Amino acid sequence: MTLTVKPKTWPGAIREVTLGAGSRQGLTIGGGKGLPLHTFEAAFPRRPLLALEITDVDPPRWVDTVRAPWDGALGRPDVAAKRAVEEYGADVVMLHLVGTHPDRGDRSPAEAVEATRQVLDAVGVPLIVKGPGGGSRQNDVLVRVAEECRGEGLVLHSAAQEDYKSLAAVTVAYGHVLVAESPIDLNIAKQLNILLSDANVDMDRVLIDPMTGGLGYGLEYSYSVMQRIRLAALGGDRMLNAPVICLVGEEAWKAKEVKVDGTPAAVWGDRARRGVQWEIATALPLLEAGADLLVLRHPEALAEVRRVVDGWFVAGS
Amino acid sequence: MSKIIAAAAIRGAHACMDRAERMLADAVGRLGRDAQVGFEGTAYALPTILALTGRRVERLRDLEDAVAEAHGWIPSVPTDSTWLPYLGGTLDAGAATLVAHETVESLKPLGGIPLVSGFWLGPTPDSILREQGIKLVDGRMPGFAACVGALPDDETAEQIARDLQERNILVFMGSHTNGDTMAAQLNRRGVQMNWETFLVPYGPDTSSLVHAIGFACRAAMTFGGLKPGGLKEARDILLYNKRRVFAFALALGEVDDEKYATAAGAINFGFPVIADTDIPQILPSGICTYEHVVSNVPHKSMAARAVEVRGVKIRTVDIPIPVRHGPAFEGERVRKEDLAIEFGGKYTRAFEYLTSRPMDRIEDGLIRVVGPEIADAPEGGRLPLAIFIEVAGRKMQSEFESILERHVHSFLSEPMGVMHLGQRDSVWLRISRKARDAGFRISHLGTVLVHKLKNDFPAIVDKVQVTLFTDAADVDALYPTATAAYAYRDERMGALTDEAVDTFYSCALCQSYAPNHICIITPERLGLCGAYNWLDGKAAFEMNPHGGNQPVRKGEVVDPVLGQWKGVNDFVSTASNGAFERFSAYSMITDPMTSCGCFECIACVLPGTSGIMIVDREYPGQTPVGMTFSSLAELTGGGQQTPGFIGMGTLYVLSRQFLSGDGGLARLVWTTTKVKERLGDKLRARCSEIGHPDLYEKIADETVCTDLEPLIEHLAAVEHPALGLGEMI
Ligand code: SF4
Repeated sequence: MTLTVKPKTWPGAIREVTLGAGSRQGLTIGGGKGLPLHTFEAAFPRRPLLALEITDVDPPRWVDTVRAPWDGALGRPDVAAKRAVEEYGADVVMLHLVGTHPDRGDRSPAEAVEATRQVLDAVGVPLIVKGPGGGSRQNDVLVRVAEECRGEGLVLHSAAQEDYKSLAAVTVAYGHVLVAESPIDLNIAKQLNILLSDANVDMDRVLIDPMTGGLGYGLEYSYSVMQRIRLAALGGDRMLNAPVICLVGEEAWKAKEVKVDGTPAAVWGDRARRGVQWEIATALPLLEAGADLLVLRHPEALAEVRRVVDGWFVAGS
Repeated sequence: MSKIIAAAAIRGAHACMDRAERMLADAVGRLGRDAQVGFEGTAYALPTILALTGRRVERLRDLEDAVAEAHGWIPSVPTDSTWLPYLGGTLDAGAATLVAHETVESLKPLGGIPLVSGFWLGPTPDSILREQGIKLVDGRMPGFAACVGALPDDETAEQIARDLQERNILVFMGSHTNGDTMAAQLNRRGVQMNWETFLVPYGPDTSSLVHAIGFACRAAMTFGGLKPGGLKEARDILLYNKRRVFAFALALGEVDDEKYATAAGAINFGFPVIADTDIPQILPSGICTYEHVVSNVPHKSMAARAVEVRGVKIRTVDIPIPVRHGPAFEGERVRKEDLAIEFGGKYTRAFEYLTSRPMDRIEDGLIRVVGPEIADAPEGGRLPLAIFIEVAGRKMQSEFESILERHVHSFLSEPMGVMHLGQRDSVWLRISRKARDAGFRISHLGTVLVHKLKNDFPAIVDKVQVTLFTDAADVDALYPTATAAYAYRDERMGALTDEAVDTFYSCALCQSYAPNHICIITPERLGLCGAYNWLDGKAAFEMNPHGGNQPVRKGEVVDPVLGQWKGVNDFVSTASNGAFERFSAYSMITDPMTSCGCFECIACVLPGTSGIMIVDREYPGQTPVGMTFSSLAELTGGGQQTPGFIGMGTLYVLSRQFLSGDGGLARLVWTTTKVKERLGDKLRARCSEIGHPDLYEKIADETVCTDLEPLIEHLAAVEHPALGLGEMI
């Protein structure tokens, strides 16, 4: 007996969004016309991109095992960016402006611009810039960076439902890409995109961050909301068909399991290895759920995820 | 549109245009057509002309073309015999006036008249636009006021400026009245005027006001990404301003033809005019969101009135009360030993009553305590209390009163040291000594309510005033009005049937974790979480049209018994991404509604009893179907249609349409004591209504049995009406 697979065709497709412009070498993500990895029935013109996260100041909360590969580069964004791209092979760099958080250094918007400039000068790949997180400080910082780095097609991370207008305005004014973040909630994801397009943001310049839960810490929620978003997008929902970005490293390296040593954890094996595995194990399901852009922290995780992606997409671009 | 205004504006437009053309001819004569013209520090050439005509004016020859085009927009002055239509022509004349103004302003420096001099700042460079314009667009600055002319005296000028500053509104000043200007008045009062203080004097001539328009146009082009071009593009820019840049003009003192013409220009952008003199009003909305011209406004209330007319929403971040507040303090109790004062409980009469009023009947933010304040009462004492809240809003409907009133509980629970229990006339409120010692007064209850109602319901609440009566006579006097309102509302809710409305509301809030789940909320069937009824859905849609609650037109009846409508089925099919094609509002057997996971109760068929059982979420034990709530929940939830199992809000039991397609309330054979107690007399009343006055007693609960066999025996013994209805499946 032969099994015949009847290919499913969808009315919708994922939008293509180009990251980076100006002095950047632009890269495009999205474009998938079927369920993630259903390469047997739909076209996937772009494979998912992998980014590495670097920071403006030495990030005190990073555990030693993920600090190791960045030795000598922590808090030196230009050095870290070069290493991420030239040595570790990242497609994209994410500069996390941790130091601008009022409790983690309280660095000024001007200093944030300075750090961003250093990275732009050091590498030519597209750049994601992540602010200190919600509230007025996030806007102060990202608005300044957006204004001063006009035309670079930065990916600004991120706008939220309560507070999207400032970043929407600078995305439009200065030609960037905006990440719309929603708390594992399809309705909010959709609503935020409606609001953004209402604020004249071109939907071809929007990414969805559905919020990532790390392995053991809500990964399945992220997985199912992404699934749901993808189904709606392929079904023709034009407010949910933006490519999806997942901040994997940040979540994976928060897990208790990557931090503890000693007796209870002894049977879990080498801690350094365990952290990398945790990051990989968080990343792969998210790719299966349709992530188009993953941000990782450990270069070994990136290398392994890259190997898997390459295997999946042999027939791809 | 008033003919007087139309005639004046068109006359003014001609006058402004003549002057612009004369100055332009003169400049061309002196400097030639190739001479450069423009404002400093902007990449938008002459921004208003760019936005309105798509012409990038760089040389005098470009300006000639723009002026010639705009001149063609001005109609002739209406004669005594022409009546209609004025509006279009007047607006066009206004737009032409703005072109004329910008022409005049741009030519001034070429004729040796500086735009920047003394305290006059002249046009705004792009660098400031980038910093300040974004605040208008993202809402940090609620709007700007273009103040035209001067006030009768310096003191009033300062008062108006302060009133606007207080509201975070950017103030532009230009033009003059009888030779005086508002900026000069402020200058004499020693008021600082610059971009830091949000007081920006443009220039002494009426034409200088075009810089405010240029600012708005550039904000639209920069932050709205709008490209100038032809008419369509100009329209988009105007619309963008109407929707986002909350601006208005204050016409101060006598309004001459040129000011009318300028105002007509501003109205194109949706910026209304508020005047302190008795000019003809233009009230009905059309171009502007609300009124166009409102006149005779006293100086004292000018800022407040302007904010209201333009529909500017101002959010306060911090509620000015002397104690901390927030949801974190909501569950907090005030114990007897810590008590400064208490109201209600079983000791005194205390109630809260919210009602809606016309806009002009409310003084926004007015808080009054009528009767003793906290300091007048003995330590640990008791007072009666009537919390009387009056709200007004352009989109307020009397139906929303009960929804807003229901929030009083959470609002008044938020300040630290205040305990609030109950609702309507069963209120119990305590204020702790600590709060009192920190300065908390009874009046602060009003402060909290005013701020919270406006912040949390900006779409429907524009104005709030609160009166706190603490004197027994006043409290008793208001009481009958309040109880009459409660009774009226209950009656309205009771009369609100599925047949009586043509629209239901959907709720998709739970789709995040139950993909494809959708609740259809009808007047007679509330959401299964118990937290959303039809009115809530309606209000939620009004407040947030892009949210998870959408109107669902019923459409044709497909099956009146099961409760199926074509509109509902179509909606469900789209909203569930094609997973479900039909929903019955009144059946748990045929095409039942899906259940997410947050149902208050589960109803399921009990084979062998011809009936159903209902178990609530908090009941931990066994049930006659052989499963606990949690195992049942697994079977019922997840957004699937599972015939024989539904999640439901407890109050659905009382509905006339409670599973009416399956036999209705008479099917209920078992539930928990908690559900029975919660529904109590109302359930008894429903039992009587369906002709089984003793049904309440016949419904078994966990004190009777938790197994199927004894239940069947019990039903036979009490002759439960379900037995006569036949098996459900
Ligand atoms: S259960 Fe409640 S919150 Fe969830 S979808 Fe239904 S009505 Fe909305």
